[in-house]
Amino acid sequence: MTSDWRDSPDASEYGVDELMITVLADQFQNGDQACNGMASFLPVAAFMLARLTHAPELVWLASAAGLDPRPERIPASTLEAPLWRDSVMYIEQYGDFWTFVLNGRWIEKFCVGAAQLDQYGNANNSVIGSDYHRPKVRLPGTAGLGDMGSIGKQLYYWNANHSPRTMVEKVDFISAAGFLDGGDAREHLGLTGGPRIVVTNLAVMDFHPVSKKMRLKSVHPGITVEEVRNATGFELLMPESSVAQTRPPTEAQVRLIREVIDPDEMRKRELRRADGTSAR
Amino acid sequence: MQEKITTLDEAIGLINDGDVVALQNMATQAAPMALVRELIRQQKRDLGLVVLVGGMAVDWLAAAGVINRLIGAAVTMEQFGLCQQYRRAVEAGRIRVEELSESVLNARLGAGARNLPFLPTRGAIGTDLIAQNPENMKLIEDPFGGFPVVACRALVPDVALVHAHRADCFGNVQYEPTILWPDIGIMPKAAKHVIVSAEEIVDTEVLRRNPDRTVLPGFIVDAVVEVPYGAHPTSFFPNYGYDSRFHRDWTKAAREEEKATAFIDQYVRSPASQKEYLDAVGGAAAIERIANWDEDK
Repeated sequence: MTSDWRDSPDASEYGVDELMITVLADQFQNGDQACNGMASFLPVAAFMLARLTHAPELVWLASAAGLDPRPERIPASTLEAPLWRDSVMYIEQYGDFWTFVLNGRWIEKFCVGAAQLDQYGNANNSVIGSDYHRPKVRLPGTAGLGDMGSIGKQLYYWNANHSPRTMVEKVDFISAAGFLDGGDAREHLGLTGGPRIVVTNLAVMDFHPVSKKMRLKSVHPGITVEEVRNATGFELLMPESSVAQTRPPTEAQVRLIREVIDPDEMRKRELRRADGTSAR
Repeated sequence: MQEKITTLDEAIGLINDGDVVALQNMATQAAPMALVRELIRQQKRDLGLVVLVGGMAVDWLAAAGVINRLIGAAVTMEQFGLCQQYRRAVEAGRIRVEELSESVLNARLGAGARNLPFLPTRGAIGTDLIAQNPENMKLIEDPFGGFPVVACRALVPDVALVHAHRADCFGNVQYEPTILWPDIGIMPKAAKHVIVSAEEIVDTEVLRRNPDRTVLPGFIVDAVVEVPYGAHPTSFFPNYGYDSRFHRDWTKAAREEEKATAFIDQYVRSPASQKEYLDAVGGAAAIERIANWDEDK
């Protein structure tokens, strides 16, 4: 099943969900340890794809608890037992998982989905509105994100609904620390790591090395720079050279996603659910 | 040793209005739902709730007006969406949320368990969680000269409610091998009292066969109640999965006040026993469905 992935040609037909999965999968290599939380179909598919192709030794802590599981396929929940079946170890959460994460030597990369993301890569999954105690929308809450932005992790954001509502100039509440108000704000607080890239249904962004403002990196095939600008609630920096096109998934990647990893199309739920308020 | 076996009625009778209650829970997992239903049946009021991640239990308690504050990291039913009744109660100001990151909640409970004023973490630095909660989180200098840390004030819940695979009459609590969330790892150790519902009450001899699976010693447990399928409609690995149909029915009902009330009347207030509850939610057919881990996608 995995023999032909290296020389597989670009797929001529694929969904944006599959493109986002392959972009995320490219960020994880042998030697990394990946973990996932709730409602994280795209990251889970990316980890499974990486393990079936370029990173067979990628360690995966499913649901932040089940070490190197062998799920039959992606189930309806990325937290429940069908995902962590056949684990090598159940990693106890209070003592062990948070020890490994907080230590800093392991689990250096983390995928973040949130309702709002701002130009400095701060994420909000807490409240929409200016009054914290009488919010317009009470979102699920920070969960593990409130730690992951502060403890040296490289953050990989995913957002299947790139719009001015989800890509905002300033988040209503910082649930996960990105580059705060930019520049060296993180360094002042002693924070290392931080946002690396943002993968949306339209484009891939990174962050300017000095100002730490979000910057367009590549647009997905068929998407124009203008469309990305219009869908972004702030002035998106442009790269110094021309805007690249995101590499599409290969035929082998698409086949693995559709036939092996996620035949039930759980990944499509990310797209349906993407109303900006129900991530996680 | 003191015997701890009691009834749902008596166990929940130990809880006073206004208490802070720590609840074992994840989005759709391992919640002591029979104990939660009893909180509603006894019309408890003004409870504070501590959850790592709350699911349907939080939504029911919000709908029934049992809680007025929540200390936790998240509330969601994952694939079944936001907890609508909880969400509306928060938006209307009826429930006050003290939101913590997971490492902060763990530190607060860890400090509570060890009788310390606080424990530090490096999590949450730079977020708005700290400024929002100055009574319980403070950025402090490392006394040894490093970068600042967050001091997380001890949290000592009045009661912890947990569900387990088995327990003996003395309150020794055993778990089958499974993923253990912090709410079994630390919550009961921080709380002043611990109430346990268990799938079965067994002779102590049964626990002796696998002492490594005993997660709570009887001396910290106050009450034990036998409640088969006591976590329904949440999952309880490996015994049974979450009830998708029931979650969907609640999600639909929770959108309207009258329907939410009717739902809670039907499934929470009316059934006089666990047996009546299980019959109400579908009886043998529902049990077979969850026992087979049918996700009903």
